[in-house]
Amino acid sequence: MNKLKKWKNFINKPGNAAYLFLLPSAVILIVFAVVPLIASLIISLFHMNIFFTGTGFVGLANFKAAFTDSRFWNALWNTVIFVLFEVPLQIVIGLLVANALASTSLFNKAARSVFFLPVVCSMAAVGITWSILLDSNIGFIPYVLELIGIKNAAFFRGASTAMPTVIAMTVWKNFGYTMSILIVGIQGISKSYYEASEIDGAGKVKQFFSITLPLLKDTLGFCLITNTIGSLQVFDQVYVTTQGGPQYRTETLVQYIYKTGFNQPYNLGYASTISVLLLILILFISLPMYKKMFMEKE
Amino acid sequence: MKKTKSASDTLLSVIKYILLTFIMIIVLFPLIWLAISAFKMEKEIISFPPSVLGTKYTLKSFERIFSSIPMAKYIKNTVIFALGSTFLSVMFDSMTGYAFARLNFKGKHILFILVLLTMMVPFQVMMIPLFLESNALGLLDTYIGLILPKATSAFGIFMMRSYFASLPKELEEAGRIDGLSEFGIYWKIMFPLVIPGVLTLTIFHLMNNWNDLLYPLMMTSSTQMRTLSAGLALFVGDHATTYYGPQLAGALLSVLPLLIIYIFFQKYFITSVTTSGMKE
Repeated sequence: MNKLKKWKNFINKPGNAAYLFLLPSAVILIVFAVVPLIASLIISLFHMNIFFTGTGFVGLANFKAAFTDSRFWNALWNTVIFVLFEVPLQIVIGLLVANALASTSLFNKAARSVFFLPVVCSMAAVGITWSILLDSNIGFIPYVLELIGIKNAAFFRGASTAMPTVIAMTVWKNFGYTMSILIVGIQGISKSYYEASEIDGAGKVKQFFSITLPLLKDTLGFCLITNTIGSLQVFDQVYVTTQGGPQYRTETLVQYIYKTGFNQPYNLGYASTISVLLLILILFISLPMYKKMFMEKE
Repeated sequence: MKKTKSASDTLLSVIKYILLTFIMIIVLFPLIWLAISAFKMEKEIISFPPSVLGTKYTLKSFERIFSSIPMAKYIKNTVIFALGSTFLSVMFDSMTGYAFARLNFKGKHILFILVLLTMMVPFQVMMIPLFLESNALGLLDTYIGLILPKATSAFGIFMMRSYFASLPKELEEAGRIDGLSEFGIYWKIMFPLVIPGVLTLTIFHLMNNWNDLLYPLMMTSSTQMRTLSAGLALFVGDHATTYYGPQLAGALLSVLPLLIIYIFFQKYFITSVTTSGMKE
């Protein structure tokens, strides 16, 4: 009885209770995030396959192998191409739509709801829909294109069209996401700026470039970096539609990691090495953002 | 102030509405096409020339998807995984966020930095060790194994911390004077005040978990344990042997639950995106 009371007294000091509040999350984060992260760095230095045959420390051999692996360079190149086109397209379309829909009217609200619909849908379902809609044999879109004179549009199945199609599908699915963030940003700009410039006789276009754009700089920068980080991890849309093909033309880094680790050759060590290289790439891009974010919050 | 619309601004707003309507058609068309085609007969889906509307509607594709893959199992697994991990994560995230926002304890700063560090590391980087670890712990292909690693998130902790931090300071003092325990203060006084944040985080987790592909793909190997996203993706990968109709019926069934929730809780979907900005 006395013990219980002591425990109650102990735990009801805020400084002690805090640890109990933290406990579940701390255990989960340590076991399922911190340990795997450290393990990833270690495994990248090992030869290791899924059957644990011939496991052993190989130093930087995996990294050296990556630098001479043309499939790795191909995957990196495809990922960079994806980022370079997907991110700007998503932000420009998101921005133009957000600018058009920032004021509150019934039409604008309805349009916003519609544009957000694909964000809610899974990439698996979206990929299935687009694959069949764009199928060169039975698809509705190739049929319509043929009617207006564009023949044999191969989309996901063409070596040169597969990546642009994956990019277009991703922009279609995600621009509503960027739009929503930017609408909040635009609504946060004081109306007085616009009123003052209206008195000066500035038109909508001029207002967009001289008020909206400069004052939205931080939000845009935030979107740019988070979209870039997300896009560097591109996997779902490729996995559901092209599986990296045709001829590895859409194989991205994460797709390559997954295939190397969980399909033939089940090479976990090498897959870890590529994931560590991806981590370095992502940290390099995201550090400036986090630095800024934490400085504002602290 | 007099508002005189110049001719160019009027022209601009005409162009604006035309463009917006055009984009709306592009966004809606695949979704509507999906919803209609899932009810078409297989021979109408593959007929030439293709038609959007078709002539006869049937549930045949739905019957086929349930008979060719364990669709009912997938739905059950997705519900258990998504609801289980969302519920636990919202609870644990908010408890931890509360501790960081309102309580003073030793090592607070360093622990918070550790949380933020895990937020910066993408899942793909930990994927392989996580798989090995789950395998060693016997968690692969189990509900616990699917749910536990997703039962908290650094982002959720970060977000709940800022919700709790915005509450006035006198609240805990009042609770302490009333003789409430520390957990009582959290649960009875503070938690009800951050319900909007809790709902936003719930939607955030629910959407991510329901739609997640790579994670369940990796953590489940038996067909009986797959989620909707993973199961359908693998089903489609088998192009040669499958009909088109069942793929569409499966896709429609998999997006429907979230779309229905979206209709009722739209506000929270949008805030979950705008407060996050972080993609998982």
